[in-house]
Amino acid sequence: MSKNIFKISVGYVITFLFIITINFFIPRFMPGDPFTYLSSDESGMNVTYSDEEMQKYKEYYGLNKPLGIQFVNYIRNVLKGNLGYSIILNDEVSKIIISRITWTLGIVIISIIISCFFGTLLGAVSAYNRNGLIDKIIYSVFMIISEVPAFIIALIFLFYFAAYLDIFPLSGGFKPFVEYESSFENITDIIHHGVLPAVSLSFINIGNFYILSRNSMIDILQKDYIITANAKGLNKSRIILRHALRNAILPIVTRIFLSLGTAIGGAVLIENVFKYPGLGTLMREAVFFRDYPLIQGIFLIMAVMVIIMNLTADIVYKKLDPRLK
Amino acid sequence: MKKIIIYIRSASPIGKAAFLLLTAIIILSIFGSQLSRYPHDLSSGKSLEAPSKDHKLGTDDLGIDLWAQICNGARISMIISLGVATLACGIGSFIGIISGYKGGIIDYILMRFTDMVIVLPQLPTMIVLGAFFGPSIKNIIIVLSLFSWTRIARITRAKLLTIMEQDYIKIAKGYGASFKYIYLNHIQSQILPIIVLCFIKTTGKAIVAEASLSFLGLGDPTSKSWGLILNRAMDFNGIYFTPYWKWWVASPLIAIVLLVVSISLIGRELENKYDFKM
Repeated sequence: MSKNIFKISVGYVITFLFIITINFFIPRFMPGDPFTYLSSDESGMNVTYSDEEMQKYKEYYGLNKPLGIQFVNYIRNVLKGNLGYSIILNDEVSKIIISRITWTLGIVIISIIISCFFGTLLGAVSAYNRNGLIDKIIYSVFMIISEVPAFIIALIFLFYFAAYLDIFPLSGGFKPFVEYESSFENITDIIHHGVLPAVSLSFINIGNFYILSRNSMIDILQKDYIITANAKGLNKSRIILRHALRNAILPIVTRIFLSLGTAIGGAVLIENVFKYPGLGTLMREAVFFRDYPLIQGIFLIMAVMVIIMNLTADIVYKKLDPRLK
Repeated sequence: MKKIIIYIRSASPIGKAAFLLLTAIIILSIFGSQLSRYPHDLSSGKSLEAPSKDHKLGTDDLGIDLWAQICNGARISMIISLGVATLACGIGSFIGIISGYKGGIIDYILMRFTDMVIVLPQLPTMIVLGAFFGPSIKNIIIVLSLFSWTRIARITRAKLLTIMEQDYIKIAKGYGASFKYIYLNHIQSQILPIIVLCFIKTTGKAIVAEASLSFLGLGDPTSKSWGLILNRAMDFNGIYFTPYWKWWVASPLIAIVLLVVSISLIGRELENKYDFKM
């Protein structure tokens, strides 16, 4: 078993190195160099460096060394947690990311809970009424929802619930310039701001959970013990919840980790729709101002999170289902 | 052409509707400039006019007719998605076929590489690549296809592995048939429907991905796609407090939804027909 885990992990470590390599080489393959970039600033400030200055800065940043040594230094820095220095925010990239990451993880985790719960439940209901009217309606609704990109759903929510009905705030993660009287008020405010982003983010994965739960329920509902339970005259909800769903839950548990990976990627868009103060919004700002160290840092962190989630999914999957040995 | 008509006739009502919608959007994208009275890149009225007889979908903040922009956006979405689908299907099926046919170490290396690309978080990587390579239609097509070929490679490989196990292939190989001969006579006809299906699915995915990228402001600013219209609209101050969103945000949004849903319905229809799940 542990040998198996080791084998999987090696694959992911290689992927991680692959990502670092991409991260290292992309800016170096670009035409020109960072100082030429900075010299011709788009925002109107005209800064030009003389040749001596460029030489000096190149030496300072280690850019005059051969690529191999630069690469080794880069990996060493990344492993130390030193991701460089942001140009727009004048702070260390790792510090900025740490201050923003909880927002992203918060809505991602809540969205997974929502999508897992409702997806599984509706899948179970759908499977129980297989080929009935309810099943057909739920199925086709989910088919369409899972095709529509989540940020479009988020936009619709934003304009309907926040702009038109005015139930939820339009943007941000908390009320700016407000002194909270109690921590309870603080928490309700944060929840109030987080509802729409989390709900719209849950649409990325809810279709997957639904299909998975429906398929595995259909399998299980044909088993003998369900027929026995039916014959005993147990009521519907007891059969679905206690007898069937319990056994159908295994593939869903493993799916949760994979979904976390996709949700982190999807959060980039959703956060931008709601201007939520997480990594996604930060990434857009960084792209807008061409703050390359920040873009790369965020990318690296996101990639690492996704890889860890996938790795966990792989391991959990193998652990939970002994048939896969 | 005849085949397509026969296929449409055999489709379900929903499939027929989806096909009709897609045809309408394709017509829009080809004849867009003839169908709209105003240019898509010059202002032709007051800014932020409500929809009227003159401007069917109203105008944006610069007074540019939105209907013309939607038509032009359809063209850009089509160019990008077809480009991505062609490139991705080319790369993907090539790698899948080589991998499945050769097997052994080549298969192992190619598949490990594919796994690696699959694990990469798509959107963040696309943002990084898009930010560094700069926005232009060509770059967007390349960046999007870099991520779309993996699934196609896996599917074609899986199919090829089952084909290669068939006795007639083994016998043909035993007689000394070359790769070219086996491919043309035995593999191509079986693999083509799958690639067509992949092509359609990739088109849908590419449209979504392009819309997402340009919504984040990474689209080609000289060619306004639907995502970029949304991006402009959302950047407009006070879009929430004014009625402008009713036409400015709603029209590109509806256009994206209609196109994506109709493509996916057609894909589903084909899946049912070939009894093949992706």
